Amino acid sequence: MFDAIVVGSGMSGGMSAKELCERGLKVLVIERGRKLVHGESYTDNLQPWEVPNAGMVPEEDLARHYKIQGHSFIQGATQQYWVKDDEHPYVTPEDKPFDWIRGYHLGGRSIMWGRQSYRLSAQDFEANAKDGHGSDWPIRYDDLAPWYSHVEKFIGVAGSKEGLPQLPDGDFLPAFALNDGELQFKAAIEKAFPGRKVIPGRTANLSQAQPHHEELGRMTCQARSLCDRGCTYGAYHSSLSSSLPAADRTGNLTIVTDAIVHSLVHDPKTGKVSGVRVIDSNTKAGKTYEAKVVFLNASTIGTAQILLNSKSAAMPRGLANGSDMVGRNLMDHLFALSVAGLLPNGPKDSFYHGRRPTGLYIPRFRNVTEPGEGFLRGYGYQGGVSRMSWRAGIGQPGIGAELKARTRKLGPWFTYISGFGEMLPNPENRVTLSTSKVDQWGIPLVEVNCAHGPNEQKMAKQILDDGKAMIQAAGGFVVSTATEPGTPGLGIHEMGTACMGKDPKTSVLNKFNQAHEVPNLFITDGAAMASSGCQNPSLTYMALSARAAHHAVEFLREGKI
Amino acid sequence: MTTTSMDRRSLLEGALLLLGVTATAGFSPDAFAKAAASPKPSLPAGDFALLSAVADTIIPRTDTPGAVDARVPAKFDALLVNWAAPKRRTELTGALATIDRLAREKTGQGFVALTPEQRKELLVAHDVAALKPVPRTDKLTGMQAMMAGPAVADPGYAKLKELIVVLYYYSEEALTTELTYEHSPGDWTPSIKVTPETRATGGLGMF
Repeated sequence: MFDAIVVGSGMSGGMSAKELCERGLKVLVIERGRKLVHGESYTDNLQPWEVPNAGMVPEEDLARHYKIQGHSFIQGATQQYWVKDDEHPYVTPEDKPFDWIRGYHLGGRSIMWGRQSYRLSAQDFEANAKDGHGSDWPIRYDDLAPWYSHVEKFIGVAGSKEGLPQLPDGDFLPAFALNDGELQFKAAIEKAFPGRKVIPGRTANLSQAQPHHEELGRMTCQARSLCDRGCTYGAYHSSLSSSLPAADRTGNLTIVTDAIVHSLVHDPKTGKVSGVRVIDSNTKAGKTYEAKVVFLNASTIGTAQILLNSKSAAMPRGLANGSDMVGRNLMDHLFALSVAGLLPNGPKDSFYHGRRPTGLYIPRFRNVTEPGEGFLRGYGYQGGVSRMSWRAGIGQPGIGAELKARTRKLGPWFTYISGFGEMLPNPENRVTLSTSKVDQWGIPLVEVNCAHGPNEQKMAKQILDDGKAMIQAAGGFVVSTATEPGTPGLGIHEMGTACMGKDPKTSVLNKFNQAHEVPNLFITDGAAMASSGCQNPSLTYMALSARAAHHAVEFLREGKI
Repeated sequence: MTTTSMDRRSLLEGALLLLGVTATAGFSPDAFAKAAASPKPSLPAGDFALLSAVADTIIPRTDTPGAVDARVPAKFDALLVNWAAPKRRTELTGALATIDRLAREKTGQGFVALTPEQRKELLVAHDVAALKPVPRTDKLTGMQAMMAGPAVADPGYAKLKELIVVLYYYSEEALTTELTYEHSPGDWTPSIKVTPETRATGGLGMF
């Protein structure tokens, strides 16, 4: 028997494992995907001319295996990280598509993430209570602030201190500074729209590795911007480069890969979970692992699937689901609401060197310094200002020496900004299990029923309007704009299916991320989120994981669980 | 999936073969035929020669290597085998055939048999006509709507040209002479002064 089992090895699972191991627990991490080895499994050393198929995924592979993943950032050099949709199906209503973007391997989506790392604010933790949507968070910002710091120091977050209440500062490494085009953009926006700010994107890349990073073999970012292939330098935080090695050096970590969790074993006599049933993904043999405490970090939808599939006589609706909230309140950020423009007045004699692993960020201003135009909550923008790529002229007429001369020249300054909007928690946006279809391992398929509502639709329009206005205020002209948000799920920020809350009747988890009904079960992935904010959520998952691990170990030692 | 052999040595041998045949801008039909001999492409020899002539016209050798020097035809041929679905392959070979047909209609000779100057004259006109924007007939949403360029009159030619250009600018030859590329820049410097020598940076990324 282990002291603890962590289901999932991604962003939150890696952090849970590290924190539990460092507190002396013998921990088993169960990963459904294959083993990846830090460095060895990456493709970051391929030169552009060495990447097969000019970096493109073969078209027949895309059509056969990646019908959903193909909507996201998959490319030839990263193809190995994306699940094959045909091997891992799920169901959606025809009129409500949901893009479930996944990576099944050791380290999960922490290998593939965008690394943007922002704290939620006091306003975010109070939002549900104030406007009545979703479950009131059982914690407030001050409860999580020290854990944000704890995680930021460990993973390394490059950022600038700005003193903004809606986007609290953290314990940062030096920021990746804005380039001259961005500084000009910033000056124009902040002059035209007092209350709006343009700041360097906060990213979990080591702008300056610290000794505790180097102890784990991590090095300073080399400004390659090849992060999506995996970083041999360990310059961005992932489970493979950072949290799992930290867990492993304690001597307390065991990892099992290729093991798909079927369900959790609930003991009605004790009211606790006693183990985890898995199916070997290759042999399909079943096995049960036992532990004193279980952390579910299988990702928002995966965690809901496991809970719903863990029915018993005592819990006929699924484990920890007396509230009927498991699977409900599925959220994702409004995504792909992008506007692009040319900045003809950009600084003509300026360029930059290196490929920065982040861009600029425009923190939320709607319902902060400016009113929402008929909608609740708000949005921030990610983007950048850069010299236009050599690719820009490909579609334009022109061949021969003229084409070569044109392509060689430095492009004009170009900007794109893309809004990330908060989606309200809505119990009708939910994950259930199919009653008729199972996957190749006999596990009921997930059914996802999720759509943007009126608040999201109003917000989406305003995101595009504000984006256009800002580019124009910077002296630019808009050359391209999205027309509507991407399909829900495409933001890859799914959250909410086992929400935290004060009331066991309306929530699944208490203020320690502990299931109201199952005291030795903790859930600290995106499922726990009672609201989504508009900030990229991984940092919050990790802070919740570290905090919950701290309390779980205390409860174990006190004999409470 | 099969992989067309394109090891580094054969790339260099092919480039040297061509360099030995002619040293002036534009290659001869014989040179295109010889280049097709090793490694053996999937396209029939005549089609490969046509592809080579088109690639050479779009990205000719100047004071820097051109598409043929960078073995773009062989790489394009490999894409037809390893990347393109049948529909795409038909679209691309059809775009090549259209160029050859236009040459025959205008001059009575195939595109390969024309002089480099004739090839360029013909392709310049076709390039303008083929890339003329037309209204979209497909409905794109979200990021796709933003990323997609305008629909054009001849999408097959647009893709053909795009692949030739991209394969060239991803090549070691282009990234060391036409554009600049450092795989590991080492650090981020947010501001440097542009000089007459400053060239655009290359690589697989968008920016």
